[in-house]
Amino acid sequence: MTSAEKQVEGAMNHPTPNTSSSPWLIVWAGLSIFLPLLLLYIYSCSPQTLQIGNLEIKQILGNQDIDAMLAALDEPEATPTATANAQAVPNSTNSLPLNDSSIPFLNNQYNKPFALPAYELPVFADTTKHRILLIGDSESGGLRYPLNDYCLANGHKLILSLEWYSATTFNFGRADTIQKIIAKYKPTYIFLVFGLNELYARDLKARKIAANQLAKKLRGIPYAWIGPANWDEDNGINKVFQTSADSATYFLTKKLTLTRAGDGRHPDVKGYRVWMDSIAGWLQTSARYKMAMKPPRKRGRPFRAPIITINAAKYRGY
Amino acid sequence: MDTNWINQLFAPLHDPKTWASAFGYSTKEPWFFTEFSFLAVFGIFLIFYAALVQKNTWRKIYLITFSLFFYYKSSGPFLGLFALMIVSDYLFALAIEKAAGVRKKALLWLSLSYSLSFLLYFKYANFFIHNCNELFGTEFTDHDLFLPIGISFYTFQSISYLMDVYRSEIPATRNVSDYAFYMTFFPHLVAGPIVRAKDFLPQIFTPQIINAALYKESLFRILIGLLKKLFIADYLGKYVDIVHELPANFSGAENLLGMYAYSFQIYFDFSGYSDIAIGIALMLGYRLKENFDNPYASSNITVFWRKWHISLSSWLRDYIYIPLGGNRKGEFNTYLFLLITMLVGGFWHGADWRFVFWGLAHGLALAFHKAWMQLFPSKSNPWYTRIPATILTFHFVGFCWIFFRATSFGSAFASIEQIAFHTQWKDFAGFWTSRQEMGIMIMIAAFIAFFPPNLKERAFQKIQVLPTFTWILWVLIALQIIIQFKDDVVQPFIYFQF
Repeated sequence: MTSAEKQVEGAMNHPTPNTSSSPWLIVWAGLSIFLPLLLLYIYSCSPQTLQIGNLEIKQILGNQDIDAMLAALDEPEATPTATANAQAVPNSTNSLPLNDSSIPFLNNQYNKPFALPAYELPVFADTTKHRILLIGDSESGGLRYPLNDYCLANGHKLILSLEWYSATTFNFGRADTIQKIIAKYKPTYIFLVFGLNELYARDLKARKIAANQLAKKLRGIPYAWIGPANWDEDNGINKVFQTSADSATYFLTKKLTLTRAGDGRHPDVKGYRVWMDSIAGWLQTSARYKMAMKPPRKRGRPFRAPIITINAAKYRGY
Repeated sequence: MDTNWINQLFAPLHDPKTWASAFGYSTKEPWFFTEFSFLAVFGIFLIFYAALVQKNTWRKIYLITFSLFFYYKSSGPFLGLFALMIVSDYLFALAIEKAAGVRKKALLWLSLSYSLSFLLYFKYANFFIHNCNELFGTEFTDHDLFLPIGISFYTFQSISYLMDVYRSEIPATRNVSDYAFYMTFFPHLVAGPIVRAKDFLPQIFTPQIINAALYKESLFRILIGLLKKLFIADYLGKYVDIVHELPANFSGAENLLGMYAYSFQIYFDFSGYSDIAIGIALMLGYRLKENFDNPYASSNITVFWRKWHISLSSWLRDYIYIPLGGNRKGEFNTYLFLLITMLVGGFWHGADWRFVFWGLAHGLALAFHKAWMQLFPSKSNPWYTRIPATILTFHFVGFCWIFFRATSFGSAFASIEQIAFHTQWKDFAGFWTSRQEMGIMIMIAAFIAFFPPNLKERAFQKIQVLPTFTWILWVLIALQIIIQFKDDVVQPFIYFQF
């Protein structure tokens, strides 16, 4: 019998009682793992997040059941009541009150819930000329040219393109940049185009909260929230946006097949045009805030509106 | 006071789904060490373990029960298959021990074939079907197969046990629960390290004494493992996924950095998991062998394989290379056996020709190094040869990882082509501008991977001085760091093209 065999057999036949291990230390080891997790769980249930300086202490990731999570997180939609409709200002598309006293979020109180302002939906025949503000990530930069063509063909004015490269829901939702720009440029219609930078995001709970913050900022102004042009299936970010946006304000781009630029991700020139054509059709027929969007005769017209570019890597905004 | 969030706190307790999820198996949420739900349950498990630690039989039963539950949470119905394999191995080993001569050998082959049949079917059936269809124009349809988690690891453990019994290196266990304890012990169950029966069985009744030093060491290993896996590897993985999706669309610099990122990702992923496994086992009083030993600091490929996934490389050496003949059957055969061993090693990693190619490349490199050392034997290894040799070895290993990670040979060659012909300095600057955090993470990973092991040891000794009661705080900090970075999404493209 080899020494190894003797060792094994010895151990099996004559087990040495292990009396020296400290049970209390093992209990403490269990608590060392369990209690921090319990603390993190309690913190994750808390409605408020802690901050150290500018650093937000993130909460533990939520459960993976996206549908249940979104349903639980969704606030009840504030729908216009009959009374609110009765108080609606006729043809108010150009006459929305856009001063500091009438819109709560311009007073920096956007975190407080407020009712959806009464707003009469324009019909397709409405030829209201809008002052359009385009906000988004790099994809909004690509979409600005075909959108400009549509604006020129329909008498709208594209007043500003805010291109926040690399930005995500956190930038748009948490920062007060959008409120500041709305206050300064007073748009009557907002185009939001982003999401490409967070297709693979799994922290949907945090993004949902930020998307809700963003949706609150937009209430009071007609808007179209354009989903990202997916090149691959996302992990639920489209669903997050769709459930945060008011009904029929979200355009689900992921269904479209668009030709791609050399990077394989952004649409190419043709892709952006096809994309915009689809959006225009939707805006005239199915969108909550409809607007005239007949196809332009001339394409690729010069873009003269101011452009603000921000890089999220250098400026997060919050 | 707002009581809503307090209600939310207790809401899961009233939800039947919580209980169903806690005790049921879900393909969406298999249990791994990195799951916070597992860690919470493990914490509670330890509290009860304290009551049984000094009672050998109860401790064994408690550990086997929890291990089976762990496997059920990871693999669901495949628990039955695993249990069947345990019982059959146990019976085969007893029969092999009693038999002699040809009968003994026949029993060994029968038992090995039986053990391997599960792995071959679940892991390689579709691979063989595809290749058969390609080669012979047949039209066999794929089997709808789900690979049972950990099968590659526990099959190798089963083989090592049967062969050790055959070689009379260890006696067959008389009690099926002893063998079940060795096979099911959950810290090494799903992703290794591959534990040998002769190392582990003697510990069943003589576990380590759990004192303050062991508590700190085990907790430290768990935390380091979690940080390696969830903080570093997963973060790097986000960039690697992006580059390998369409490597031709990225510059040579981005592909090269993708290669570095993956080299570190796979190291921190594997070694992090091993650290957690070793730490958890240690907390229960059992010491598993080390699986990694600063492999990227190796100055040649032979040393690399002594330090990389040690439990696998030593298994391949002891159960394939040496039984084939090792270096006892002439020079040519030595090289041949080396190649065969590495081909098997490659194939073990996955049912794809890319893994076979990866194994072949490493086998050739090992053979080349062996021949080189015979031609130019050198005992000294001064720093001016060691540093370039280490860099060269690291780059060779990284190059081979491209085949390991790529989605196809075409994708791997596209990545290599970009690196070889389209790498420009300005692209590194572009990478740094657009993905600064990723650049910093690659540097942190490189620093840790090449950090001298003796300094790591010294750092750990300093940490060990910290009082026991403070360690709960370090756990909290480590978990919060993981949460802070876990959801950061790497930007999937370079933004400055517009």
